[in-house]
Amino acid sequence: MRRLTRRQQLSAVVLAVIALLFISLDFAGGSLGGARGGTTGALGSLYRGTDAVLGPARRFVQGVPNVGGNRREIARLKQRNAELQRLLAASAADAATTRQLQALQLQADTADWRLMPARVIATGPGAGFQWSVTVDVGGRENVLVGQTVTDGLGLVGRVVDVHSTTSVVLLAADPASGVGVRDVRSGALLLATGAGSGPLSASALADRADVRVGDRLVTGPAGKTTYAAGVAVGVVTSVTTAADGTVSVRLRPAAAQFGLDLVGIILQTPRGTARPPLEPAAGSNR
Amino acid sequence: MTVSRIASAAAGVITVLLVQASLIGPLTFPVPVSLPALLVIVVGIYAGPGIGMGLGFTTGLLADLGSDHPAGVQALCWLAAGLVAGMLGGLATQRGYGTRGVAGLAALLGAASSGVLGLLLAILGSHAATALLALRYLIPVGLADALLGLLVVPLVRTLLRAQGIRSPRPVGRLIDTAPSGRVHADAFG
Repeated sequence: MRRLTRRQQLSAVVLAVIALLFISLDFAGGSLGGARGGTTGALGSLYRGTDAVLGPARRFVQGVPNVGGNRREIARLKQRNAELQRLLAASAADAATTRQLQALQLQADTADWRLMPARVIATGPGAGFQWSVTVDVGGRENVLVGQTVTDGLGLVGRVVDVHSTTSVVLLAADPASGVGVRDVRSGALLLATGAGSGPLSASALADRADVRVGDRLVTGPAGKTTYAAGVAVGVVTSVTTAADGTVSVRLRPAAAQFGLDLVGIILQTPRGTARPPLEPAAGSNR
Repeated sequence: MTVSRIASAAAGVITVLLVQASLIGPLTFPVPVSLPALLVIVVGIYAGPGIGMGLGFTTGLLADLGSDHPAGVQALCWLAAGLVAGMLGGLATQRGYGTRGVAGLAALLGAASSGVLGLLLAILGSHAATALLALRYLIPVGLADALLGLLVVPLVRTLLRAQGIRSPRPVGRLIDTAPSGRVHADAFG
């Protein structure tokens, strides 16, 4: 064991007294404020520099005990995220369904139709046609072959096959589909046919028919059409008149032909009332 | 003490204070493990009580001024730690303690220093310091100091032996020749 020399003993006593003096001064208050501020500021600057170097190592070591917990937490958050994404998608789908139902309801109200909402459950070739979809309503819901299908904005197609719980709808876009349409402005009759993924086209039944770009076309009587009358088919985008006077037009469809989700099957159109014949006005001369 | 020794001591003190604040303190929180105290003790063991208490006082005062507890408390504690370490260090070196032995001794002194510091702060009414906490952390601080000591002891021993840092060797000087022909010499450090 080392012994202290007299000089070391004196130094120890002096330093201890100085330390006690510092404690007393600090307790007296405020007199060491400058020294504290300077030291803290200098060390603070050094701490920042040191942390840039040692910080990553410290954080790595601090994270080691939590590795297992972090993995569990990450797994839990991933599951939660997936659940929230599903809810978000469901919410968006609900909003879209609501919009579609509102459109169908509006059309049913304005046209006085009985509409059966139906969800498209399958797409693709069916019933021998190319462009068709299967919906989740059928004979149980009084759906009949030939009924018109709309999405609330325009014509989607018509029912071509009915089962007890499902039905097959031929889309108006199908090349084999023919729809009798009427020009709302001029009353000209045309036959609209689908072109698959291309725009609808229509040919006027009469030569030199009065059809212009921008005219709205709705379903109307043409041949043995079974479509409900007055359903919007599309807007004329181009008119071509052949040398022989045949008028053919291209249409921008009123209804979405693809990406269908909720549609309405028109179960019943208003029969109307027996209309009275027109009588000659009183006092008129022949 | 040469300029190079003072510069080395200052660099060592600043370095351990920064490592303490950036690495050791956050990693061992809330156990009050102190790398500067351990350094003071290990240096005291190898370099003697004079250097131990000087280094302890300086390091403690700097740490005090950089903290929010009363200035002078750590200076007083580490002064005592360096002094005691320097006195006991002679025993350790005489008995030929290796790294583990010195680290164990340093850990004991470090834990005692931490306990005394906690008690002193509790007496002085420093916030978050109680006598119970000071006693409760004695063993954890001792264990942590022992582990740290295994790194610090060889490092300090190597540095103190480095050229320019080690203390000057005694130089013999002929002062007289006795009539019997025997040479009397004195040693100056």
